[in-house]
Amino acid sequence: MPEIKSSHFLSDKSFLNQNLRLVKHIDYTLIFSVIDLCILGLLVIYSTTHQEIVNEGAIQFTKSQLIYILVGLFFCFFVAIIDYHDISKIAIPLYFLSIIILVYVLISGKETGGSRRWIQLAGNRFQPAEFAKIALIIFLSDFLSRQKDKLSDFLYFTLPFLFTGLLMLLIYKQPDLGTAMVFFAITLFMIFITGISWKYIIIVFLILLSLFPIIWSFLRDYQRNRIILFLNPEMDPLGAGYNIIQSKVAIGSGGLFGQGLFSGIQSQLKFLPAQHTDFVFSVIGEELGFIGALLLLSLFILVLRKGIRIAQEAPDLLGTFMATGVTSFMFVHILINIGMSMGLMPATGLPLPFISYGGTFMITNFIAIGLLLNIHLRSIFT
Amino acid sequence: MFSQKSKKLSKEITEKRLNDFFILIILCFVIVIINLWYLQIIRGKEFEQKAINNCIRSLVEEAPRGEVYDRNGKLLVTNRPAVNFSVIPAEISDYQTMSDNLSLIIFMDSSSILDKIRSSKQNPFHALTIKRDLEKDKIITIEEQKYKFKGSLLTVQPERKYLYQNLASHVLGYVNEISEEELNAPTFSHLSGGDIVGKSGLERYYDSYLRGEKGKKDVEVDALGREITTIEIKNPVAGNDIYLTLDCELQQYIEQQMFEKKGSVIVSEPFTGKILAMVSYPDYNPNIFTQQMTTAQWQEIAQNKDNVLCNRNLHSIYPPGSVFKVITAIAAIEEGIVNLGSSIYCPGYYQVGDLSFKCWKESGHGKQAIIEAIANSCNVFFYTIGQKLGIDKLNYYTKLLGLGEKTGIDLPGELEGLVPSEDWKRDFYNQSWYPGDTVNMSIGQGFLLVTPLQIHNMLSLIANEGLFFRFYHVEKIISQSGEIIKEFEPQLINKIDISQNTFQIIKEGMKKVVENGTGRLANIEEIKIAGKTGTAQNPQGENHAWFIGFAPYDNPEICVTVLIEHGGDGSTVAAPLAGNIIRKYFQLKYNQIAKAEQF
Repeated sequence: MPEIKSSHFLSDKSFLNQNLRLVKHIDYTLIFSVIDLCILGLLVIYSTTHQEIVNEGAIQFTKSQLIYILVGLFFCFFVAIIDYHDISKIAIPLYFLSIIILVYVLISGKETGGSRRWIQLAGNRFQPAEFAKIALIIFLSDFLSRQKDKLSDFLYFTLPFLFTGLLMLLIYKQPDLGTAMVFFAITLFMIFITGISWKYIIIVFLILLSLFPIIWSFLRDYQRNRIILFLNPEMDPLGAGYNIIQSKVAIGSGGLFGQGLFSGIQSQLKFLPAQHTDFVFSVIGEELGFIGALLLLSLFILVLRKGIRIAQEAPDLLGTFMATGVTSFMFVHILINIGMSMGLMPATGLPLPFISYGGTFMITNFIAIGLLLNIHLRSIFT
Repeated sequence: MFSQKSKKLSKEITEKRLNDFFILIILCFVIVIINLWYLQIIRGKEFEQKAINNCIRSLVEEAPRGEVYDRNGKLLVTNRPAVNFSVIPAEISDYQTMSDNLSLIIFMDSSSILDKIRSSKQNPFHALTIKRDLEKDKIITIEEQKYKFKGSLLTVQPERKYLYQNLASHVLGYVNEISEEELNAPTFSHLSGGDIVGKSGLERYYDSYLRGEKGKKDVEVDALGREITTIEIKNPVAGNDIYLTLDCELQQYIEQQMFEKKGSVIVSEPFTGKILAMVSYPDYNPNIFTQQMTTAQWQEIAQNKDNVLCNRNLHSIYPPGSVFKVITAIAAIEEGIVNLGSSIYCPGYYQVGDLSFKCWKESGHGKQAIIEAIANSCNVFFYTIGQKLGIDKLNYYTKLLGLGEKTGIDLPGELEGLVPSEDWKRDFYNQSWYPGDTVNMSIGQGFLLVTPLQIHNMLSLIANEGLFFRFYHVEKIISQSGEIIKEFEPQLINKIDISQNTFQIIKEGMKKVVENGTGRLANIEEIKIAGKTGTAQNPQGENHAWFIGFAPYDNPEICVTVLIEHGGDGSTVAAPLAGNIIRKYFQLKYNQIAKAEQF
């Protein structure tokens, strides 16, 4: 099969025309769903932080988030324009760069709250683990699309897990167990898509299950506590179980229509910790109610549906894998964050895409959407 | 790249698998939505009510720290009730206004109040102490303006009180709020911000015994902050009391004697290691730490040029000067370089190559045997035997007698000091060891640096003829119910191999020091004292004056070490002070015996 060179179809046009054509065919449903999510996020961040005491003024968080969104959009279109085949050419350097940066973070990253997750760059803080998710998706897509036929060979089947495992280990060391698990989930879904036989999938789950006692022994005390408390939050209602209980009360008290924006009892009185980052869904539940939460979930389903569709319609397997990686990355974040807020999952502190406050994560989300747009565009022109 | 056929096949599979993936996504979302329905619609009303009432307010009741008594059962440190201003962060609607209002009353920066609330990482329903120990007029003002402070409360909590103000401040130490750094340390990991911990001295060393257990009262309050029900009460458990080996009266007496001087005094029992008095002067009043200090107040203390917070007995190092000569003498006798019969002629100087080392008596001491040399502190005698010994031997005996090493006393932050060697000088200065260095060291000058406590350790060891007892301050620790938690016995930690004969010679020399040598001014009528004076030169200014001594000579009961920083001559400044202290000790002892007989 000849290699698909998307630049061929544009070769006789001027640069301006090329880009005009691209803009015309952008997937606007996807883009606008994402922008709607961002607006909802801005409202919630304003609601939870406008009383915050910050030197720079009360709406600092909202302002910063708006800037992150704009920067994200820029990255999104930038990534959408460069042909994803060209992007896949730097898959291996990207992967190794991620490893180097993650090692650097462990050695001389900024320490906050007992973990090293940040690096300082040009006056800004970055969380390299976020960008590493994109690097992993690109690297695995490249690897799987090349080696797909050999995956039934057990050696080749284990390779993607080894690649991911290395990244996971570095992130676990920060320590950031939640993010490490996201890496694992992304890999699992991408391998599932290759059509690997169910036999292998069952083997992986059995191995994981049998490894559980060993994994348990490697967990830190607070991580074990989270799992125990997830199973029984009432055990320590004022300590570590506090978040889960308060979050459930917040969501529950929202009722059908919610307490109204800016007037959640729980969130406005700061009963909820980290409410503009990890527990942002509880605020939506409380202030916008069941209706608001459904709106949010519908927007997410729309984005995920688009992701799956783009994966199915991709011009080649490379595109399919990339789109699948991105979709699974979004899905895992949404599921874990919302599940945690409702007490359905252990509290791991993963942010909610496009909603939670945070620069690196917002930009990563938009890069991911940029990849989807990219694949979508190439599928139209082939 | 794949063949067309295999591509087609995998396309089909991936498409099917992607459909499965989407089904999984939908399934998960359905579960989420069902749960939302359950939480928000089915149980919504119940949760709403809970959100309105749900406010478990948790009040911490601090435990009183254990009390501290001296060896005669005299109470030295206790607790007094103090009124603290605390806030429940969750119940404050507007931090800025609250802190602005408060800062006007308590004279604390509005921004530092905000900082305190912001940096508290605890549950927002836990009361957070903003200001400890409010004055009466401030309490009244806050009570009057209560409406301005919704979400705050005044609580009565125990605060540390040092009954004798400055007395033994360096030994007792002080308490204050736990620092961020300490919170991260494993020993304090179970504590939280705002807790009070021992910061120095015995308060620090025995913190875990003294601290006690906090109490807790969880109450459910409504949205207006009114208590609805009490959920749980846990009463605080007071810390354990400690009984010291310290004699309050002796300590007081010495502190009076040290007035307007700088330096340190240690008095202990050589055969047990019990510290009877330990004075470091100038001192401070630990009560000032109990009230919240301003930054300016703290800086005044911390940057004070007299270094008042430093316990000079173990946190400062000095050249030992001539008190070190006893070690040179021990080494020389043990190594067979001198004996009772040998003598050395002192012309008033000692020549090493081109260098001439002076004796303190310019005209010279003439012929000196070892006992006279110790009594007169003749430099030339010790130069001569020091050089014959050589640095390696000198270094060996110095360490053997406990210098350059922590004594293991029950106080934090003890320094090691410095016992130089050839290797050390090469590593540190990149120079070889000169004969002049050995000569200097043999009279306790040069690179040698010691803490007064190490010198005291050496003194006790001579009094004990080779036995090392660990120094300690605490006799026993007793719980509030009267149960003995821990009892401390004298602890023999080492016995060094030096002959009885050597000690006899040294002791005889030290007796002569006080009888008719350099330490005559330490002489008191009642009791025979053995001692040694020292005048340590130091480049920073006036000499340090040393005196070490034990009494009674034939059956030592106490050892006394006196160091007066920049005091001048050991024989005129430190020796009489030591004599007075020994007299006071025996007076106190016989008074007590007399008192006991009366009853």
